[in-house]
Parts: sequence; structure tokens; C-alpha cells
Amino acid sequence: MNTRGQRILLWIAPAAGALFLLAYFLFPIFSASLSPTQTPDEIAAFFHDHGSGILGVSVMINLIGGMLIPLFAVTAVQMSRIGNSSPVFTYSYILCVGIGTTAFLLADYCWGIAAYRPDRNPQLLTLLNDMGWFLFTAPVGTILMQNLCLALAIYLDTRAEPVFPRWVAHFNVATAVLFVPGAFTFLHKTGPLAWNGILSFDLRVLTFAAYVAVMFFVLLRIVGRQTEDVELRL
Amino acid sequence: MSVPAGSFASAAGVPVRPWYRSRKLDQWICFWSVPFFYNLFGLVFVPLSSMMPPKSPSASTQQIVGFFQGDHLLIACVILTLSLGLAPVSNAVYLTQIKRMSVSPAFRVAFLGGTVMGAIVGMTFPLFCFGLGAFRPGYDPAVLVMLYDFGYLAFIGSLGCFCVTWAMFGLAIILDRNRILPKWLGYYTVWQFMSELMAAPIWLTQSQPFGWNGVMTFWFAMLVYVPWQFIIYVWIYKAIKRQPEDELDNAPSRTRVRQRDTAGAAP
Amino acid sequence: MWFFVIGDLFIFGVYFVSYLWFRSADHALFLDSQRHLNQDIGVVNTVILLTSSLFVALGTAAARGGNARHALRLFGFALACGAAFPVLKAFEWIPEIAAGYRPGTNLFFMYYYVLAGMHLCHVLLGLMILGFVMRELRQSRAPRIRFVETGATYWHMVDLLWLVLFALLYLMR
Repeated sequence: MNTRGQRILLWIAPAAGALFLLAYFLFPIFSASLSPTQTPDEIAAFFHDHGSGILGVSVMINLIGGMLIPLFAVTAVQMSRIGNSSPVFTYSYILCVGIGTTAFLLADYCWGIAAYRPDRNPQLLTLLNDMGWFLFTAPVGTILMQNLCLALAIYLDTRAEPVFPRWVAHFNVATAVLFVPGAFTFLHKTGPLAWNGILSFDLRVLTFAAYVAVMFFVLLRIVGRQTEDVELRL
Repeated sequence: MSVPAGSFASAAGVPVRPWYRSRKLDQWICFWSVPFFYNLFGLVFVPLSSMMPPKSPSASTQQIVGFFQGDHLLIACVILTLSLGLAPVSNAVYLTQIKRMSVSPAFRVAFLGGTVMGAIVGMTFPLFCFGLGAFRPGYDPAVLVMLYDFGYLAFIGSLGCFCVTWAMFGLAIILDRNRILPKWLGYYTVWQFMSELMAAPIWLTQSQPFGWNGVMTFWFAMLVYVPWQFIIYVWIYKAIKRQPEDELDNAPSRTRVRQRDTAGAAP
Repeated sequence: MWFFVIGDLFIFGVYFVSYLWFRSADHALFLDSQRHLNQDIGVVNTVILLTSSLFVALGTAAARGGNARHALRLFGFALACGAAFPVLKAFEWIPEIAAGYRPGTNLFFMYYYVLAGMHLCHVLLGLMILGFVMRELRQSRAPRIRFVETGATYWHMVDLLWLVLFALLYLMR
């Protein structure tokens, strides 16, 4: 039975979480706010002052971004067990994960590059910083869709004993909705929807962290209950 | 014949399931999301951002700077961000048909890889370049020109990812013995690969007809591409419709087997 | 395959027509740039493709007549001939590029490289297809004539395209 592999993959997620906590406490740059209203000189000063902290976080987020993929992979495998008429939802899910993580990592690179040589032209630093935030916003779209695909797959599960409990579908829809405000960061430089705002940033990050934590336990339970070998119909 | 609950009798007396009870509902939901997405995509890239039809690569610096004024590019970015998840869905619809073909799974995997590349490099990041230029005032004109170039070259000049995607799709259709899609459509799909090659010269020149707004590289490529996009979806509609129910992953025969398995398992 | 051939001819046709249009708009530039092309290699390539097509036609006839071994040999000659095309192309292009005549140089050279480049891709694909036809003739007990004919059609199309290309780019004054 191939559940051991899935369990190993799932346990990488808490490791990613631990790494994130480590980054949070080791490099306290999250508390220093980076507002979209800052002038190029202020931004240059920020990258200059917090250079090493940003680089440290950048490297760790680089790793963490990749480390979340196994959790999504197990989700995809369990999705394919549901047996809708086709693997269309699973394909959509996998593609969304690939695209979203890539955008996320590119955002991470932008900040790393900005911090790498902080005595760059302030305009370039501003551009890199903006680019980072734009790319950081892109996964809103992919997470929105991948969660909806998972939810739909669960709703359409016609098995006598569904793979996922129904509430997981509701949960996925709810988290997808909570991500929506994040897309509006392009239009606001201040307020809750700005990229450092309550709705676009704090809510989004907290929702994502909660989502990963909840899905981790859900998947652990599902894999534990799995009795037949998964024949990946992809 | 008695009509099972949840369905109604057609004229021939054969029970017909209403659309919301269709076994293929997952495929239909994803299929119909595609025209919705393409219309939204069209809205974002044409009237809203006026990124398309492409502006000239030899526009003056002043014109380029003027292009970045106003909020419309940012609104376009918002809409694109919210809807970009639908691009994977439309590719998943293709993948699902490729899976039914008799060709090696390698085609699906290659197709998958190509579309992941394309979504970032050819769609998201180019529009973001335009949004970036509009996001804050005070950028050097040289920076704005760079963003302008990056956006257009990446959007129109993203060749390889789509080359591999269409080549895999086209080849799969041509080699397929199950005839999921007609062979001529396979050849037409291979031309989409060619239309990507046709766009290659945009990297080498800034004027007609081979610049990124060129008659040969853009307009002619559109002439080859747009009809194909319609036609392929019409044929995929037919393919989904024609798919026999016993071939589906959730066909009754298979569900019964699965139920037997789980019923006998320990709690 | 006919669908593909006709469509491909259409695509190239549009390129040819637009080439003529832009040529008439700047006749002097085109004439002047044309002088830098290597006509000799162009002629040899034409002969190569024509010969190769001849072998393909003979090979197809042999296959139809049931003589798979003879057909295989003829297709082999066709492949060998055709394989010389890309090699000669390299000899033609490398000096030209080294001398500074690149696609970005001017509109004529852009057309030249784009058209010849697209054609070269078709030739390479055609060589692969000829290879598959040969494999079919050698390995299969009853070779599928349909497949042989499809491959032959493609190769003839490649040849036809070259003839037009050669006339337009190299010869036309």
C-alpha cells in the first residue's frame, strides 16, 4: 500500500512551518513595515538597513515555497481517488500549484535581489520591490482556483464513502473567498487593501497558514483511512 | 421502463439526466469556464488595458510614458489576478482529452510542463510589467520603456512554452488511434506551433512587418490562431458529449467495484 | 496530410505575397541585398531537392508495386540527398552571418532568413518523416502504402516550396 510515501510527504509541511517560525523570529523584518507609499529613497534605506535580514528570509522562503509542494501533491493524489468522470479537476489543481508557487518564488527572488546590492539606484530598488509585491499577489488567483477545484471535486464525489469529508469543501470555498481581497492591492496604496493592509496581507497570510495547518491534519486522517492502493488516473 | 428518480423521460422514453446530475458534470463545469475566461481575458487585454492590439515597438518615449498613465492597467491587473486560475482549467480540459488518446503519457506530462511555463512567462508577468509601470509615478522614462519592452516581448514573444504545448497536443491527436479528435485538427494544431515560430522575429526588429505589432508576426499569427481556438473547443465539446458513459472514471460499473472494496474494509 | 499541405502552402503563400509587396515598396534595397546571397549553393540545393523528390517518387511507385526492398533503397537515396540540404545551408549561412548579414540587418535579410529558416525546419521534419517511412518499409511485413504516400506528399511539398522560395529570393530581379 502506498500510504507511507504520502505520509512522508505530508510531514514535510510541518517542517516548512517550523522553518517559517524560525525565519520569523531570527530575522525580525516582518515587523518593519514596507508601505507602498514610501519614496524610492526610503525604500533604498530599508533595503540597506535590513539587508541581511531580508536575505535570510529570502533564502528561507525560497526553501519553504518548495517545501509546500508535497502537501499539494498529496492533495492531488487524494483528489484523483475521488473518481469524478475525469481528472480535469486534478489537472487544474496541479497546474495552479505549479504556477502559483513559481510566482511566489519569483517574488521572493525580487526581494532577495533588491537586498543583495542595496546601493543600487533607488529607482531600481523601488521597481524590484514593486515587482516582488505584484508577483506575491499573483498566487491569489491560483489558490482561489485550486481551492475551488478541490471543493467542486468533493461536492461531486459520488462514492458511498467520500474521500474528503464535506466540510473540507466548504472550508476550501471559504478560504478562497478570504483570498479575494488580496487581488485588489494594485489599486490601493493605503488602507486595508494596500499590500501591507489588514485584508490584503495579514488576513491573507493568516488564512494561508491556517489552511495549510488544517489540510495537513485532514490529509493525514484521509491517508490513514486509505485502504486501497491509489491508481493514479492522471 | 420506469424512470429512475432524479431524471426525466425523453421523447423516446429513455431516461435523461438533467444537466446538474450529469455524470460528466466536472468536465462540463470546466469546459464552460473556458469561454467565460477567454472573454474576460479579452476584456482585460483589449479595451481595459489597451495592451492589445499591440502598440508599436518604435513608439516614441513620450508615447510610451503616456501609455502608462491612468488606472486602467491596474484594474486590468486585478481582474487578471482573480481570473488567472482559469488558464490552468482551460489547459486541464485539453489534458483530459489527451489522456483519452492512445498515445504515451509522456505527451500529457510535456503538455503540462509547457502550460505551467506559459502561464507565468507569457501571461501573468507581461501584464504585471504594464501594471508596474502604472503603479507609481516618477519612474525614469528609460525604466518605463524597459517595462514596455519586457511586457510586449514576453507576451507576444513567448515561443517555446507554447511551441511545446501545441506540438505535443497536435502530435497526440495525429498519432491517436482512439480518434478522440479528428486528424485534420491535429495538423491544424501543429500549425499553432508554427505560428509561435512565426512570432520569433519580433525579438530581432522594431518595425513592420516583423516587429511585435507586425503584419506577419502578430496579425497573421492571429489569423492562424483565432479560428483554431474556436474550432478546437467545438470539437472538444463534441468529444466530451460523445464520450461513452461506461468509459468515465465514475461509471456505474466502477463505482460498484469501489463500493464493494470500501464496504469490506475495516473501519 | 493534404489538409496540412494545403494549409502550409497557404501560410507560405501569405509570406511570399507579403514579400513581393514589401519588395515593390523598396526595390533598390532588396536588389542590392540580394547580391550578397550565395546563388551557387542555392542552385545546388535546388538540384539536390529535385533529385531527392525524384527518388521519393520512384520509391513510392516501387512500394505500390509491392517491391519493398527496392523502395527502401530508393528512399535511402532520397534521404541521403535530402540530408545534404541542411549541411549546405550551414555552409551558406555561417559565412553570411560572419560577414554581418543577419536577420536584423534589413528587411530583405529578415525575409530571407525567416523564409529559408521556416523551410529548413520543414526539411528537417521531412528527413525525419522519410526515416519513418524507411523504417516502415524495412520492419513491416506488409508496409502501409498510405503512410508511404503521406510521407512522399510531404516531401514533394517541401520541394515545391523551395522552388518558389529560390525563385523569389535568389533569382528574381
